[in-house]
Amino acid sequence: MSEKSPKLGGQSGLRRLWNGPNFRWNFFLLILLAGECAVFGAANEKFLSLTRVFTAANDFLPICMISIFVTFVMITGGIDIQVSSIVGLTSIVIGVAWQDFGLNIWAAVALAVVVAALCGALSGFFIAYCGVQAMVVTLGGSFLYTGLALLVSTLSSTEAYKGISGFPDSFKALTKIKLFDFIPLQIVIFLAMVVVAHLLLHCTKYGRKIYLVGVNPSAAEYSGVNSRLVIMSTYILSAVSAAIAGIIMTSYLGTAKSDLGGSLTMNIITACVLGGTLSTGGKGSVLGTAMAALAIGLLRFGMPLCFKIQAQYLDIPVGVLLVVVVVGRAVASNPNVIAWFGRLRGRGKESRIGA
Amino acid sequence: MSAVKKFFKAREFTSFLFLVGLFLIVGVINPGFLTLDNISACFNSSVVYTLIAVGMAFAIFIGEIDVSVGSTMGLSAAVAGTMIQNGSNWLLAFLVAILIGVVVGLVNGWGVAVMKIPSLIFTLGTNGILRGLMYLQVGVEQVNSLPKEFKDVSSMTLIGSFTIYYCCAVALTVGIHFLLTRTKRGRWFIAVGDNAGGAELVGIPATRTKVMAYLICGVLSAAAGIIFASRIGIVTSLSGNGYEMKAVAACVLGGISLSGGVGSVIGAGIGAVIMASISYLLVFMGFSSNYDNAITGVILITIVVVDALMQRRAAVNNRHARLAARTSAAPGGKEGLEQ
Repeated sequence: MSEKSPKLGGQSGLRRLWNGPNFRWNFFLLILLAGECAVFGAANEKFLSLTRVFTAANDFLPICMISIFVTFVMITGGIDIQVSSIVGLTSIVIGVAWQDFGLNIWAAVALAVVVAALCGALSGFFIAYCGVQAMVVTLGGSFLYTGLALLVSTLSSTEAYKGISGFPDSFKALTKIKLFDFIPLQIVIFLAMVVVAHLLLHCTKYGRKIYLVGVNPSAAEYSGVNSRLVIMSTYILSAVSAAIAGIIMTSYLGTAKSDLGGSLTMNIITACVLGGTLSTGGKGSVLGTAMAALAIGLLRFGMPLCFKIQAQYLDIPVGVLLVVVVVGRAVASNPNVIAWFGRLRGRGKESRIGA
Repeated sequence: MSAVKKFFKAREFTSFLFLVGLFLIVGVINPGFLTLDNISACFNSSVVYTLIAVGMAFAIFIGEIDVSVGSTMGLSAAVAGTMIQNGSNWLLAFLVAILIGVVVGLVNGWGVAVMKIPSLIFTLGTNGILRGLMYLQVGVEQVNSLPKEFKDVSSMTLIGSFTIYYCCAVALTVGIHFLLTRTKRGRWFIAVGDNAGGAELVGIPATRTKVMAYLICGVLSAAAGIIFASRIGIVTSLSGNGYEMKAVAACVLGGISLSGGVGSVIGAGIGAVIMASISYLLVFMGFSSNYDNAITGVILITIVVVDALMQRRAAVNNRHARLAARTSAAPGGKEGLEQ
């Protein structure tokens, strides 16, 4: 072996990384995030203070947390539009179980997670074992669980619109504790979720099965994957992540309400798609979704701070971002455009050779 | 198959039976419900849903979806409402509202059919943009001082106790149904939804048909917006939020398959009535309106799960029947199986 081979190997490794399934898109998202930071930071230096970002993060952390696990669902070729209603259901179950049934607060939290997992399992069962379209079942689920949350709230002695408050300090501490007196605990939880999801999806057999089911369910079935169980499990995971987001929101706001998280659905799907997840299944990555969710979150935080845009108008930039990105992606993957770029590159090479 | 038999086997007929059954059950529990006034109120209150669901049906027929209908409706209601409130000509306001629908439909159609972007994602994006534009139009205030004459139109009746709006919506739905089933171009929508590649091979302009479907969807949503403004009389910046999901639910209840190519607009209309009646029926059954969402969800899930199981069973039975026919047609069975 000559001395050149390691260098060559390194080059091809870099190239392999560059041509990897998600790398280019994740790279673009990283640039997008950096660009956002630069623009908002230039417009208002308050944006660059980390403590301020951490405080504002409470508003968009639920989107980040849930969208990571909705990515799992979308990779199997499904979609989950019921997660936002599970957030509200979790919140009100915690409140009612603690205040009106006298449960220990942590027992109430555990109960809420179990309820959420059951909700996810129910929808997942219908999708995986009865073969109903995911969109329809989770649409029905979103009605059902919103309705259930409302019914649970009527069990309480507190009026539904007021919300249940006065939680013990140990529960509120969940979003008050700061690691090293600096990083709020909920950020740590989010990062932990990203790591767990990344390892689960990209480094385990289970993760490979999720991709295989998304690419070709019959091939997965023939190669001995219990594809139905895999599909159902992704809905349970997304429901549990919604429950965690619901717990964090309840703890942060200090009130349990049945309509928490009502407007999250569209943002969550946007984050998944922007993160490079293919809605037809088989493609997507945890890091991509996490970065896309952060990009949306920073946009929602930076726009009002730097350009005095009212919070209600934020749907416009998020919508524009989504449309521009998907149209840009469609244009870039058009064979004519690729050929044009190829010619451009070819001409560049020729001229260099000529010089 | 004879026409009558076909009628009874149609998917929308099942939905119709379900609706009648629903009314009868409520009638048994509370006999006071079964009056013409109450039943027509159920139908009249479904007019906005009917228009949106018929529009959505077009998007679903071609195998796509349009989740921007709610904001299209809201925006057209806000714009038309503001214009009428400021004393402009009604016709002009209607035209502007419909124009909004045309533009939204063309943009959605361009993104989905020409750029080939997954419809859920593209219309999600336009949904966000439209909702934001609506905040710009309405702001924190509401459009709430619409002239009385405009609001009164919604309570005028045409046939019996059915309002003008509902009669128009029914006429429109039936008209569209005949166009879809009796004309060549109408059948293109179903053909494209059933098998886009095959449709293109037999010479159907699939892209143009898809754009057309989104155009119709946008226009019908905008029309629903005008009626919404007239019926409710108040347009806030949140009006129309969530209507897209209710329209999808109405279509599914009406027997339209989300994978495209199956169903009829009549079904969408019946589904819309079911969706609109649920909260009304609950009142008569003595439940609080808190049960509204839960029951809608249970009905929706039950219907789609039962439908999926029945279809699977029918597919298995068909396969058995085909196999039996083949083996009995060929004595010895060997040649038959080889076919």
